[in-house]
Amino acid sequence: MADDDKDDQKEYRWETGYEKTWEAIKEDDDGMLDSAIADLIQKAKRKRQAEKTKQNRLGMMRHLFIVLDCSESMSVPDLKPTRLLCTLKLLEIFIEEFFDQNPISQLGIIALKAKRAEKITELTGTSRVHLKALEGLANVSLTSEPSLQNGLDLALKTLKVVPSHASREIVIIMGSLTTCDPVDINSTIEELQKERIRCSVISLSAEIHICRHLTQQTMGTFGAVLDDSHFRDQLLSQIDPPPAAKTQDNSLIRMGFPHSKNESDGKDAALSMCMCHIENSDEPSELSTTGHHCPQCNSKYCELPVECLCCGLTLVSAPHLARSYHHLFPVPNFEELPFESVPPEAPDFGSLRKCYSCIKVLNAVADKSVFKCGYCQQFFCIDCDIFIHETLHACVGCNTIPGVAGLVYQKQGGKAAPDFHQQQPSMMPSSSKQRSQQYSM
Amino acid sequence: MDAADAATSTETEASIDLLVVVLDTNPSQHVVRQNPQNLTQILEAVIAFGNAHLMQKAQNKLAVLSCSHHATDFLYPLPGRQVELRQVDGQYEVFSLVEKTVKQQLGSILMNAPRLSSPCESLLAGSMSMALCYISRLQRNIGAGVKMHSRILVITGSNECASQYMTYMNVFFTAQKLNIVIDTCALDKTLSLLQQGCDITNGQFLKVTQLDGLLQYLLWVFLPSPQMRHKMVLPPPPKVDYRASCFCHRELIDIGYVCSVCLSVFCKYSPICTTCHTIFKMPGPLPIRPKKKKKPEKM
Amino acid sequence: MADTKSGRYASSSAAISPLVQGPENLECKNFQEYLRTRQTPETLEKFYHYPPICLAVFRELPEIARQFVIRILFIDQPVPQAVVSSWGAQKFAKEQAEATSCLSALNVWRVTAIPGGLAAWELSPTFKKSVRQALMGGGKPWPMTNTLDKDSKPRDIPFLDSYAMSRWRCVLHYMVGTGGRNGGSDAEAISPDAVRILLHANLMKRDERGGISITRQGFQFLLLDTRAQVWHFMLQYLETCEERGISLPECLSMLFQLSFATLGRDYSSEGMSNQMLTFLQHLREFGLVYQRKRKECRFYPTRLALNVTNKDAATATTAADEERMQERGYIVVETNYRVYAYTDSQLQVAVLGLFTELLYRFPNLVVGVLTRDAVRQALRGGITAEQIVSYLEQYAHPNMKLVESAIQSKSCLPPTVVDQIKLWEMERNRFTYTEGVVYNQFLSQNDFVTLRDYAQSINMLVWQNERTRTMVVQKNGHDDVKRYWKKYSK
Repeated sequence: MADDDKDDQKEYRWETGYEKTWEAIKEDDDGMLDSAIADLIQKAKRKRQAEKTKQNRLGMMRHLFIVLDCSESMSVPDLKPTRLLCTLKLLEIFIEEFFDQNPISQLGIIALKAKRAEKITELTGTSRVHLKALEGLANVSLTSEPSLQNGLDLALKTLKVVPSHASREIVIIMGSLTTCDPVDINSTIEELQKERIRCSVISLSAEIHICRHLTQQTMGTFGAVLDDSHFRDQLLSQIDPPPAAKTQDNSLIRMGFPHSKNESDGKDAALSMCMCHIENSDEPSELSTTGHHCPQCNSKYCELPVECLCCGLTLVSAPHLARSYHHLFPVPNFEELPFESVPPEAPDFGSLRKCYSCIKVLNAVADKSVFKCGYCQQFFCIDCDIFIHETLHACVGCNTIPGVAGLVYQKQGGKAAPDFHQQQPSMMPSSSKQRSQQYSM
Repeated sequence: MDAADAATSTETEASIDLLVVVLDTNPSQHVVRQNPQNLTQILEAVIAFGNAHLMQKAQNKLAVLSCSHHATDFLYPLPGRQVELRQVDGQYEVFSLVEKTVKQQLGSILMNAPRLSSPCESLLAGSMSMALCYISRLQRNIGAGVKMHSRILVITGSNECASQYMTYMNVFFTAQKLNIVIDTCALDKTLSLLQQGCDITNGQFLKVTQLDGLLQYLLWVFLPSPQMRHKMVLPPPPKVDYRASCFCHRELIDIGYVCSVCLSVFCKYSPICTTCHTIFKMPGPLPIRPKKKKKPEKM
Repeated sequence: MADTKSGRYASSSAAISPLVQGPENLECKNFQEYLRTRQTPETLEKFYHYPPICLAVFRELPEIARQFVIRILFIDQPVPQAVVSSWGAQKFAKEQAEATSCLSALNVWRVTAIPGGLAAWELSPTFKKSVRQALMGGGKPWPMTNTLDKDSKPRDIPFLDSYAMSRWRCVLHYMVGTGGRNGGSDAEAISPDAVRILLHANLMKRDERGGISITRQGFQFLLLDTRAQVWHFMLQYLETCEERGISLPECLSMLFQLSFATLGRDYSSEGMSNQMLTFLQHLREFGLVYQRKRKECRFYPTRLALNVTNKDAATATTAADEERMQERGYIVVETNYRVYAYTDSQLQVAVLGLFTELLYRFPNLVVGVLTRDAVRQALRGGITAEQIVSYLEQYAHPNMKLVESAIQSKSCLPPTVVDQIKLWEMERNRFTYTEGVVYNQFLSQNDFVTLRDYAQSINMLVWQNERTRTMVVQKNGHDDVKRYWKKYSK
């Protein structure tokens, strides 16, 4: 609701034309609304999908601070069981998903307690630390007011020193309607704007002018939640990497790709301790032969990605990088067509119409519209359309029919960098097939 | 602990186990080119294995896909097609249905396939993505409170198609997200990508060199459901090499440079990304200062 | 609850409360228990000649045992025991031992010696042959699979479902005694054969007036889910089948064969023996198969028959499942212990009345409340809290299952209600029973004190009262105390 109208910020709701929102909802034959509502949800999903493909340059290396309001207002039970507990639960999901989708990004948490800001976790790339910290937050005492400015200042101080090639973001979850700040907050906002730190706010109560202003100045998004599922949607929409800021510096980052020792020696490596647990008294490091060794200083880690404690090299594995590729090479949107356009099978097989990928037998009532990929010309049911675009990130038709796959990447490559081929023909792979082969190992 | 164990075991008893076999039927596979009879042998083993899976529990489900040089097709089940079938021997009706359908369908696919002019790669990643779509459909349709565990078994004698690297990765991550286990039975070479996939999804990777014992291998390694595999002694996981290869020379590297915009990997510093065409800012601490001079030297 | 015998004394309050006669509970066996307890190795061997039985036995085995069987199925020599035990992980040795003993108990495999003096496992050749046949083919086709002409009016799954349920409900209605009075379509009387099974199973008994009434076990039977009911009933049937002159292995094989059939397909009874045709007629009566006319060769197995071997009905296709759901779920339970049952079925009302206090009755709705008295009444009748809860869960209205609560619980019922029912049950278990021997009529206080102190010193004293000079000693301490007493009194 609040986030829907971010494009036309000038206009208030009541200034827009007279909307007959109820006319979008139609009863079905039984007088039920279920199908109409399901229809609306699917339309919304497809709309979101359509927006996604427009971006092609994304800030893939993200440094994100979550600023969490821990003031008295978070104890209100309008979200069940309380605002804070509901938020923590959702943050757990958010953090898991965030690192799943942004494997080489970092995250930190700041809590706003009693007019002060406290850094709960530093910027790190492992979800474990954050999840543990969140557990601790469940029992925090909720008193007094929050200070938005203190929180922003603290995040700003840390994000300032982050290398400029990274995308820097702050996501604020506000329960309170007020903020108690030491000086004029506008100066902080100006500085955030100067540093090009993107600030987004999710308000658990109502739209707040200063928050809206903040997000407008820093190119972030603003949302006020309706209920817990809407809250979840709002939060999870922060997971996709934002478009890269125009001024964001691009650079090549040095990274290490560790491989296990055994491979090279041919026999089992000596027992050793891993560095990630060595200073952790709760779960002491265990001697083992397996692990990932930093190619630069040879210290061992039990999980990736991690920044080497000794030499500071970022250690990742190839699949970690590959996890993010789908943001950059999304599946082109399918075309929505009526059911009749699907060619039926041969009559001796029953003249059925089937979804190409899940072999569901389509029927004229339930599958009014079908979806066609423009490259492989195959038809999919709506569920597969959503599954392919939201989860799988690979068109089933294009990848099973020989000769089509190349076509897609060629077109896409052309779209992503239109002057790609003309400018530097010598450096560029001439055919799409070669280009995708570059990803091979 | 006993009580918890018992609880989980009753849970696995009640859940549905779905096995999707992706069978490589590409005639240009090494094993098939050696001796076309081998394909029949593999098929027999796969059918017996699939039926052994169905025999485990009444709720178990099976799907078989064939990945050929020209297309990927379902061999079983075939929705909407009634096969009028009566038992001809003592085989359990459902099992003979599987056997007949798979054989008939594969036969008709191979008959109608375009002639193979030159050896070509099997698009296994695509077939796996189709399997995922099928699994996710079944997952959506099962009733509330019923659990379904799914896995994909890839049986192939081909090489991995390098151009499908991204599809492979997307398939692996999707499977990981949906808790789908990917198992691989390689009949010819060690497949490093599928090995990674098995590792990511906690599946088993096995290289079978002797086709004669294929069924026994399948029954040993791949028949136990992933939920009970820790109770059986299975071959140890192979060491998986997760190093990246650079985009410029395609060599495995230990330390490389990654483009901050598109995450392409390079073994040497270059001022422009060859994938996304981004011009990089020079990092301060790097030893090379004048990039124009340094670059030709390095190339 | 422990059963009581005459020579028993309960500690403390037992002297006041009269000893309750422990009711005999309904014993529900699964197939494995049935085979292990009721059958001799010889009969098992006879069973294994039938592939359907082998298939059913195989599916009943523990997970690890199934893997073992599959792995030695295609090996022709015996496999050394050491090799077999190396297949399982060391950590789960206990589970593995259970699997091994289960396989031996069911006579699926046996120990043989192989050259070299090692003990080895060998699958029972009959079992091996039958399983191989079912899996890979070969041998004779199963009976009832003869080709049929296409049915001109094939029956679809919803029809079969409703037919099966209406037949089965007939049996249940008869048990509750609503069948005759109702006079509806469900009210076809059941055959004397079925009545005999109910009597044999102790689900019903003849009362003094010569009529037939439901027993405690019968009520417990009603609380089971349909699948368990059918299974229990069929087991009882099988026990009586030898008396009828029908061969048990043949019956069992037929039953399993039906359960492995495909729902909605027709099968032929051509070439069946007369005995099997009688069996088929019985199955038809209980709703396990549908047959248009008695004489017709064509029959359709129903879901009831299919579910005999399925642990739960998960295989059912979703559409049909939903249909059944709509029919099944009719109870709404609220946190204030009120129970709303949307039903007009006498049977369902009767069952609900077992543990609720019924308040109002409307044409399609019954309102009741779960009270302490009503639940205790049921508990006294030998119904367990678990059974009540599972019944309510099983027939919970679909809307109950939709409610999303913040507290993640497995049950769709309000947790308070579930807990309270369990508490009411626990209330009844405040007594612990101990067997003992009474010593009384001591001649002097001194004698009493000496003996009491001795009994106390060896921790065998259960209860004593100095004023009446009575003490109770645990039974296993009786000899000891008696010996002491004899020595002392000398």
